[in-house]
Amino acid sequence: MSNEPQPQPPPDAATPLLTVRGLAVALGGNRILDDINLEVGRGHIHALIGPNGAGKTTLIRAIMGGMPHQGTIEFHFRGNGRIGYVPQLLEFDHSLPITVGDFFALMLQRRPAIVGQRRAVREQIRATLAETSSDNLIDRLLGGLSGGELRRVLLAQALVPVPELLLLDEPASNVDEIGAQQFEDTLLRLQSAHGITVLMVGHDLQTILRNADAVTGINHHVTFQGHPRELSDPATLGRLFGVQALSLDRNGASS
Amino acid sequence: MEGFYQAISQLAKSGALPAMFEHSFMIRGMLAALIIGPVLGGMGTVVVGKKLAFFTQTIGNAALTGVALGLLFGEPTDATYAGLYGFALIVALLMTYVKHRTRMSNDTVIGVVLAQVLGIGIIMLVLVTKQFNIHQIEAILFGSLITLTDSDLFLLAVVAVVASGVGLFIYNRSMLVAFNPVMAKARGLRPVILEYIFIVVLTAVVVASLKLIGALLVLVLIVVPAAGAQNIALSLRQFFWLSLIFSTLSTVIGLLLSGVWPVPTGAAIVLVSSVLFYATLILKPMLGRAGVRQGE
Repeated sequence: MSNEPQPQPPPDAATPLLTVRGLAVALGGNRILDDINLEVGRGHIHALIGPNGAGKTTLIRAIMGGMPHQGTIEFHFRGNGRIGYVPQLLEFDHSLPITVGDFFALMLQRRPAIVGQRRAVREQIRATLAETSSDNLIDRLLGGLSGGELRRVLLAQALVPVPELLLLDEPASNVDEIGAQQFEDTLLRLQSAHGITVLMVGHDLQTILRNADAVTGINHHVTFQGHPRELSDPATLGRLFGVQALSLDRNGASS
Repeated sequence: MEGFYQAISQLAKSGALPAMFEHSFMIRGMLAALIIGPVLGGMGTVVVGKKLAFFTQTIGNAALTGVALGLLFGEPTDATYAGLYGFALIVALLMTYVKHRTRMSNDTVIGVVLAQVLGIGIIMLVLVTKQFNIHQIEAILFGSLITLTDSDLFLLAVVAVVASGVGLFIYNRSMLVAFNPVMAKARGLRPVILEYIFIVVLTAVVVASLKLIGALLVLVLIVVPAAGAQNIALSLRQFFWLSLIFSTLSTVIGLLLSGVWPVPTGAAIVLVSSVLFYATLILKPMLGRAGVRQGE
């Protein structure tokens, strides 16, 4: 399959980590994505923007594999070839008594999490959470976390083991501003510490303008391709992304 | 098994055990309660986590049709195993398949099938037996301790052992898929295969426990102990073990109650599990949900 990580000869630094060519996805007769071409530079933070229902999440899922598509998705990995994924949300019942530590134990240990965590596993969980400044959350219930705290926990989850490519599906709302700032700082720190390439669905344009190395606008097809500074014109934004322009206004007014 | 029953019966006659255990069907019932209680309680945590409660109910309903099919194909009236397990499994797998093939929600798929299988089952049973034998229908819907045979018990034990083994082996992964299937997949899990394995195990457990609890009531024993545990547990470990304890207390005490008073066992089990559930509701504010409170 074209979207499986394939061993590649060592490419030079200019080779993008991810190349998408002519990608099309149809679900139930609807064309969600059409003729998507995209290059994600090695070590870059690459933002995907576009209105709701534009197909951003579908694109992320196609890149992860398992989404039937036309076109090619090529990875040029040099290391472990692992793809980390940070979902928008968890689809669990928020009243379930599951702690952050339990959640990680489900992922990291072979023996059933219901018999508890071995000391070594618990230390590993704590260290992983510390990467996103959330080790203090280890005994908190998942359902009791704030939006920002949950984002950091989900980010930490994608870091075991450390991926080469991090796919991040950011929620449009639900994260308070302090939470968003903290998340942004954490992401930048991780990116420079581990050299992770990040492809993220972004909603907060201020954050994207500050941090992203490249932006692709999507509305079923590619509507924009370039550097985030080319986005600073609100009129262009409004024309390209509709609701996204409002988000710029709101953040502009509040800062 | 006869020797064992006689030994227990002697103990009951000598007054070392309650008089009800003079009857071998009560001894069989107690064994069944001790076997199925923990298994249902443990599986309940995953059923609640994966929101499969009504799925479980549908499996129970399908059992009635299964009995009719078993009779149609000439199975003995007290051992329609192939029809029971076979049909319940077909319905469970079909629902899972439809759910994965279409983009329908679990609720919709279950809503389509839930009452259908029961209705078809009743019609078939009447057609097959050429009479409206309410006792046969009752036995499946509400459970029937008297009709619990040694081979039922043996099958129950085998199902319980296999289900516990497989269930514990896939426990972590099944729960993780419940959180977010896409994330689970990115972590190298196979959500669809895991779901099918869990469904097969769940179906076997539900069908095996029908004679004790009944098709209409089995849902209670899957959901209520887990829900009660959810009320007061502060971690996954507490959640699982409390659910297991509540469920076992329900089956055992329920059985004892039905030995003392002339009430159906399944209904008595439901009653006990309900009392335990409301007790956790009352206990909840006293224990405090520290984790939630901190987060709010």
